[in-house]
Amino acid sequence: MHADKFVIPAEAASATKLETDVEVLRAQAGLYAFLGRCLESEVDQALLVALRGPLRDTLAELGIDIGEDLRSGAPKEVLADLGEEFAALFVVPGAVLPYRSAYETGRLFQPQADLATAAYRDAGFDFRNILSGEFPDHVAVMLAFVGRLLERQAEALEAGNTDAAAEWQRRREHFLLHQIGGWAVGWSRRAQSCARHPFYLAVLGLAEQVIWADIGDIADEKTLKRLVKSNRRPLVKQKTDHAFRKASGF
Amino acid sequence: MGHIGNIKTNRRGFLKLGATASAVGATLASTRLVAMEQELGGADFSAVTGEKRTAVPYTCMACNIEDGGVAMVENGRIVKLEGNMDHPNTRGKLCAKGNAGFLHVYDPDRIMSPLLRTGKRGEGKWKRISYDEATSLLSEKLRAVIDRSRAANDPSILNETVIKWGRNRTGGGIDRFMHALGSNAMLNHTNICESSKKVGLEPSWGPDIESCDWENTKYILNFGSNILESAYFMNPNAQRLVDGVVDNKAKIVSFDVRMSNTAGYSHEWFAPYPGTDSAIALAMAHVIMTEGLHDAEFIRDWTNVTEAQLLAHLAPFTPEFAEQESGVPAKDIRRIAREFATTKPATTFSYRGPCKHLWGAYQEAAIHMLNVITGNIEKRGGYCLPRGMGWPQPSPNPPKGPVPSIIAAPPLYPLASHHVSTNAPYMIMRGEAKVSVWMYYYDNPVYSYPSSHVWNAFLRDESLVPFSVAFSCFMSESTELADLIIPDVTYLERHDPESMPSGLFPCLSIRQPVIKPLGGTQEFRQSLIDIIHKVDPDGALGARKYFEFDSVEDWMRQHFDSIPGLKEEGGWDHMKKVGVWPTYGTVSKDNGKLIDDNGEVVVAEYGLHAAEIPAATMASAVVEPDGSITKDGATIGVQIDGKNHTGFGTPSRRIELYKESFRKYGFNPLPVYKRLPSRDKKPGEMILTTFKVNVHTQSRTASLKYLAEIYHKNPAWISPARAKALGIADGDLVRITSAVGYMVTRAHLTEGIHPEVVAISTACGHSAYGRLATLKHKEADAEWALGGDPDITNNVWWDDKGVHPNPIIRLSLDPIGGSQAWYDTVVTVSPAQPGDKYGDTKVSVEASMKDYDEALRYAYTGDLHRAAHQEVDVDWNALPRPGH
Ligand code: SF4
Repeated sequence: MHADKFVIPAEAASATKLETDVEVLRAQAGLYAFLGRCLESEVDQALLVALRGPLRDTLAELGIDIGEDLRSGAPKEVLADLGEEFAALFVVPGAVLPYRSAYETGRLFQPQADLATAAYRDAGFDFRNILSGEFPDHVAVMLAFVGRLLERQAEALEAGNTDAAAEWQRRREHFLLHQIGGWAVGWSRRAQSCARHPFYLAVLGLAEQVIWADIGDIADEKTLKRLVKSNRRPLVKQKTDHAFRKASGF
Repeated sequence: MGHIGNIKTNRRGFLKLGATASAVGATLASTRLVAMEQELGGADFSAVTGEKRTAVPYTCMACNIEDGGVAMVENGRIVKLEGNMDHPNTRGKLCAKGNAGFLHVYDPDRIMSPLLRTGKRGEGKWKRISYDEATSLLSEKLRAVIDRSRAANDPSILNETVIKWGRNRTGGGIDRFMHALGSNAMLNHTNICESSKKVGLEPSWGPDIESCDWENTKYILNFGSNILESAYFMNPNAQRLVDGVVDNKAKIVSFDVRMSNTAGYSHEWFAPYPGTDSAIALAMAHVIMTEGLHDAEFIRDWTNVTEAQLLAHLAPFTPEFAEQESGVPAKDIRRIAREFATTKPATTFSYRGPCKHLWGAYQEAAIHMLNVITGNIEKRGGYCLPRGMGWPQPSPNPPKGPVPSIIAAPPLYPLASHHVSTNAPYMIMRGEAKVSVWMYYYDNPVYSYPSSHVWNAFLRDESLVPFSVAFSCFMSESTELADLIIPDVTYLERHDPESMPSGLFPCLSIRQPVIKPLGGTQEFRQSLIDIIHKVDPDGALGARKYFEFDSVEDWMRQHFDSIPGLKEEGGWDHMKKVGVWPTYGTVSKDNGKLIDDNGEVVVAEYGLHAAEIPAATMASAVVEPDGSITKDGATIGVQIDGKNHTGFGTPSRRIELYKESFRKYGFNPLPVYKRLPSRDKKPGEMILTTFKVNVHTQSRTASLKYLAEIYHKNPAWISPARAKALGIADGDLVRITSAVGYMVTRAHLTEGIHPEVVAISTACGHSAYGRLATLKHKEADAEWALGGDPDITNNVWWDDKGVHPNPIIRLSLDPIGGSQAWYDTVVTVSPAQPGDKYGDTKVSVEASMKDYDEALRYAYTGDLHRAAHQEVDVDWNALPRPGH
């Protein structure tokens, strides 16, 4: 897998209809931005305020339970508790590392990271890490990128530039199919199975559904089948050959 | 007979033609078909693009041999490691560990950001923080110790800042850091490694190790060392040993309780009773001296003993006596002694096997003596001095802290020049020393120390260790107990100066980041700079001036840019390009040896001790009555037969087989054999021994996929006869019980082990160190669930990670070298009891504390020491006071 192969082929032109509803696009952008922010780094005071304020009712309406302590607990303790959960889930050894490289190859920072960077750069963005150990193929950065592409599409439409809007949509769909579609849903499921706090359970569950719904809209049946398989990646319990159990089986 | 056309063919005819053709040789060789690897080393190509990969030299640190490597880098990623062809001792070859080392870099279980503990110690609850926050936090703690020391006007408080390391390859970096903080409380790991070997050697000949000329020798006596797999300087020594045995037709004889791969490769293997190597070596010396096979001239000129003294001393150590102690037949001891003395050149080698016993320093001294009395010292093919090179420290360099540290230099072990790190937790638990900040670097005592549960209890206890910091980039059994983790990078992403005497060609080498530190991680050296700058922001403390480096690379330049010879070739910039200096030749593509421009094998320099002192240096020097040459208060050489030689690195510049420093504390000044308590174990008991294997270090490599797949379980080696007597069959669950507890593992029946010994390898049975070392992904997905790693998911076919023996190994020390007596633990082995499960381990901290008391009875002030050394000519009532 080489980053220099990241060229969106012309025939990859979107098979889906151009979304022209700016409001829908902005809402989708907001949703991806929200998911990206929740998964990219620990919850901070600003996000806590947002979750308790403008987002609270909407999340409740959708039946998304972010946890009682997050809704009303003492901010300092809540933030500390969520920070600990974030580290356990996504950072420390044994975590469900949120990187495509790690999920697909079992190693950090493999060519998957270069592919992500190439896509960001091609669209006029770039990746920078704030803390050590952050890589461009982080699921949250990828989701945030989708959000930015949706915004750009909305902006293009507002400027009356339909061609540009189509180009942004094409980019987004390609990125969803080729860089997110094969792993992020499976990863979300696995992370949910390890999450302890309702907030992360909720965000991960939401991410799974949002990604899968969008992919369902753009992928043909064959692609969908392939992606289902690719995401599943079940833990295979190895068949134990009892000859190996024999201690002297050097 | 067949016919091709009108040519008559039969098998004999074919062979005849073949033989003739092969005699014609190269003329008939195809010029199109070449060996797959057309160029040996240094060039590599992308399998995808065909582009040449970037080759960056570095020094390996997958283990501590420090071989020269070249990393092949493609798109900013390490894709392959190779040996550096310019490194004269590595000669282009890395071992399996060295080849696999790059997996550390991309390990998903690597700690990639500083972590601050949020739960109880060891509970696994962490908060992610930045390097800046982490170094600030540690600086506050360190500054608090300094401020308290100043307020109390008590400089000993400065030693409450402690650092302990397993591997310190910083080339003086840690000393600089600790001394800048005013602390001397530095603890290495050497007492769980070979420190008694060092202490057995140093007073006698200066340096702490020998460098055998394997390649050119004719005879090798190997005492308990697994040269081909794991001993010090494994990779270079293994290559040269094979050269010696195959090309030079050298004979190798091994003494080892276990049939290691080196013992198996030897012409003869003997399995002596554990801890009796010195009885064998002394008996050989006895034979050599009494039969007049010794080198009288060398003894006279170059040692501080006489033939008569040696003969008298060796009189009781007969081959028959050695047979009684070791079980090795007296006739073989005699025969081998004669062979060794009359086959020239010859050498011994020994590593941990003999010295990791009570009184281990004597064992090493006895083996070393064989080379001295046969005059094999510093000869081609003989037993040579190690050849290393130094580098200057950047100026200014801080002086040591004002007060000696009790835990770094325990007063009851005055001869233990390589620390007694095993004792630290016991001393602190007993209130003999105090800690405020405990830092650990490349160190995993909770796994790698004897009675490792004591370290676990110690590091968990906040009343004993108020604040602890790990600099590890892996979550080891010890790292997980830290309060703060400031992860270092891996050895492929950092800077260090290096020089290892791993062969006969002295050289300098470097470590440099072969890729940018992954994901913005920060190397330890940079953290040290940042911490000192924060402890002493305005320089008022006087610490900052020792860390005024513009960058880590600036620090390296200060090491390398002024070395004569190297400076002219470009200093640090040259090192970055080549990785090693000087280069002595190229590696022959035909035989792998180092050759010069004319194709001749490069010959090392010998006889270093006999180098003559230049006349200019001799001006104003004084030749003392014993021949030693002094100048300006220092001994600079020795005069023999009117010639002025530099000699050996001892006070007399001769080899001091008689060690006055030993006698002073009631130890025998000459090499002796002391019967170990384990020699008098009860019938039915056994002795537990451990060993390393070729693909693992003790603790650090179990997380490397390539290596874990090759070796991951460590059943207990037991002889079939002994197993039968115990009612144990191959593969059975067994319970092994020592005085501190028991473990349950499986039996591996083999003739390759002494019947009184049970042997278990290290490197297995981790409870931490990542998902592969622990196989946790197989136990509980939800707790350890990267998932999706196709390699882990589909290729980890094994479900046995082994069982770690260290918890049941007792603390026991050589009172001379201060070394842990790893191979003295007496155990019982029995079939597992009902309810026992594979891997069960039950041990007691209280029982281990008693071992500490027992160990102190052998220290020079102890009753057992005195009882065992009645022959020593010392006033027992006037021994030096501890600490004086
Ligand atoms: S012996 Fe192996 S692991 Fe050790 S330094 Fe040499 S190549 Fe590296």
